[in-house]
Amino acid sequence: MTSPDIISTKAPGLAWARILPAVLGLGVLVYAFTSNGYVVTVVGFAAIYGLLCTGLNFFMGFTGQASFGQNAFAALGSYGSAILCTDYNVEPVLALVMTMVFSGLVALVVGYPTLRLRGHYLAMATFALGLITYEISVEWTDLTQGYMGYSGIPPLSLGPFQAQTDKQQLAVILVVLALGVLAAVRLRGSRFGRACRAIAGSEAAAGALGIPVARYKLISFVIAAVYASAAGSLFAHFVGFISPEVFGTTMVVQSFTMLYLGGIGTIAGPLIGAVVVSVLPELMRGLKDYQNIGYLVLLLAILIYAPKGVVGLLDSLSGKWRR
Amino acid sequence: MIDAVQLAQNLVNGFGLGLIYGLIGIGFCVIYNASGIVNFAQGVFVMLGGMVCHTLLSRLGLPISAAAVLTIPVVAVIGILMEILIVRPMWNRGASTFAIILATLATQMLIEQITLLTLGDQPRTYDSFTAGGPLKLGGVAISYQLFWVLGFGTLMVAGLWLFFTRSRMGRALRACSQNAEAAALLGIPVKRMLLASFALSAALGAIAGILVTPSQITAYNVGTPYGVNGFIAAIIGGFGSASGAVAGGLLLGILQAFAIVAFGAGFKNVAALTVLLIVLLVFPNGIFAGVKSLWARRT
Repeated sequence: MTSPDIISTKAPGLAWARILPAVLGLGVLVYAFTSNGYVVTVVGFAAIYGLLCTGLNFFMGFTGQASFGQNAFAALGSYGSAILCTDYNVEPVLALVMTMVFSGLVALVVGYPTLRLRGHYLAMATFALGLITYEISVEWTDLTQGYMGYSGIPPLSLGPFQAQTDKQQLAVILVVLALGVLAAVRLRGSRFGRACRAIAGSEAAAGALGIPVARYKLISFVIAAVYASAAGSLFAHFVGFISPEVFGTTMVVQSFTMLYLGGIGTIAGPLIGAVVVSVLPELMRGLKDYQNIGYLVLLLAILIYAPKGVVGLLDSLSGKWRR
Repeated sequence: MIDAVQLAQNLVNGFGLGLIYGLIGIGFCVIYNASGIVNFAQGVFVMLGGMVCHTLLSRLGLPISAAAVLTIPVVAVIGILMEILIVRPMWNRGASTFAIILATLATQMLIEQITLLTLGDQPRTYDSFTAGGPLKLGGVAISYQLFWVLGFGTLMVAGLWLFFTRSRMGRALRACSQNAEAAALLGIPVKRMLLASFALSAALGAIAGILVTPSQITAYNVGTPYGVNGFIAAIIGGFGSASGAVAGGLLLGILQAFAIVAFGAGFKNVAALTVLLIVLLVFPNGIFAGVKSLWARRT
C-alpha cells in the first residue's frame, strides 16, 4: 500500500489536481499574513508539523519503514534548543543546528541496532524510544524541569535580526520548511532516494541490485530524526514554552494522521495533511469535548477507506479528468 | 544502602504485577497467533476491566463477584466490535502492518476519550476482594489481593493451556497461527477465529484489569503502561507463547522491583522499556529461546 510506483518513467504532469494544493497553500499563507495572531499561530503549528512529517515521510513513505518514536527526536530538538538558548545564551540558529547534529548522531547510534527489526518489532522498538524519552523528560527534573516545563525560550534570531512578532517568526519557520521540502524533493529524485524507494518495494530485490539496504535505511532514519529535531527547535522558539506532554503519544498519532490523510510517500502529502489536521480542530471547536473523538474517527476512516490520502484521491480524480 | 525489607516488599509487589503483565501478554499472543496482527490497544482492555467493574460496583451497588462476572463479557463485546468495525475492514483490504498497528493505537485513544467523557477523569479504585490484611511476614506486607491475583493467574494459565491443547476451538486457533491457508482448507473458519481471538484477548485483559485495580488505581489513561508492559512480557517470552508470556511477565515484574529500589519509582517504566529494547536487539525470539540457542551453539 505504501510502496510507490518505482517503475514509473513518465515525468509527473502538472494536472490541475497537482496545482490545486499549491494554490490552496498559497491562499492559506496569504490569509495567515493578513489575519490576526491566532490564525498565525495555527498556520505556524501547521508549518512546524509539516516539517516533522516531511522528515517522517522520508523514512515511512519513501523507504517503507515505520517509526512510532519521532516524538523522541522532536523532544531532543526542543529541549536542546530551550536549554542552550536560555541557560547558555547560544544563538538560536546555532542551537538549532547543534541540536540537529546531536539528534542525528543519537538516531545513528540508536538506529543501528533498532533498524534490524521489522514489522511490529520495529514499530514497538521505536514506540519504546518515544516513551523512554517522554519518561526521562518527566523524571530528569534537573535538566528538563519535569512537568513544570521550560519557559522563557527566546524567539528566533540571527545576529542583529530578531523575529519579534508572530508574523516574522512564521516567516522564518516557512523559510526553514521550504528548505526542508526542497531538500526532500532533491533527495527523492537522487540516486539515494530512488534506492530508498526500491527498498520500500522489496528489500530482497533492492539488496540483490547491490543497494546497501541496512545503511540506506539508517541514513533515512537519521534524516527523519534531523527533520524532527528541527521541528522541535522551531516549536520551542515559536511558543516560548515546552513541557513533556507536548511530546507524548498524541504527537505520534497526530503526525501519522497528517501523513496518511495527506498521502504517504508523496512530497505534497505531508504538507496537505499538516494543514488540514491543524485547521480541522479549529473548525470543529463547536464540538468541544467531542473534538478528539471526531479527529480519531476521521483517522480511522482514512486508514480503512482512503489509505492513500488526499493526494491519492486527487491523483485518481485527475486521472479520470484526463481520460 | 539497599534495604532488604524494602527490596523484599518490592519483589512481592513486582511478582503480583508481573503475573498481571503475563496475562496481558497472553492477550497479545492470542491475537497475534490467530492473525499476525499486534493489537496495540491491548492495554485499553485492562483499563476497561477496571473501569467497568468500578462503575458496576459504585453505580449499581453490585457485589464484587457479580460485577466481575458481568464486566468480562462487556469488555469482550468491545473487543468483538473493534474487530468487526476496524480490524476486519483493513484486513480485507490488505492494509499494511503499520497501518493496522496505527489503527489499533488510534482505537485505544478513541476508547480512552470515550471513557473520559462518560466516566470522568478521576482516578479510582475499589476494595480488595476479601477484607482484612495485609499479611505480615517480618517487615513485608502481603495484601490478600495478591493471593487472588496468584490464584486466578494460575487458574487462567492452566485453563488457557487446556483450551489451546484440548478444545477444538483452541486447536483451531493454533492451526490458524501455523498456517492460515491450510487451516482454511481443513474447514476451519479463519475469520471467525480472528473474531474469537479478539473476544478472548479482550476478556483476558478485562480479567487482568479487574484483578489489578484494588492494588493499583485505575483511570481512563492507564492502558498504555499496561499494554506496553504486557507487550514486553510477551516479547521476553518469545512472541506467541502463552507460558513464555507469563514467565516473561514475572521476570519483568521482578526486574522492575529491582529498578524501583535502585533508581526510584519514577524510572520503573524506563527500566522496562530498556529491557524491551535489549531483548528485541539481542534475543529477538525471546530470552528463553535465545538462551537455549546460545547453549546449543556452545555444546
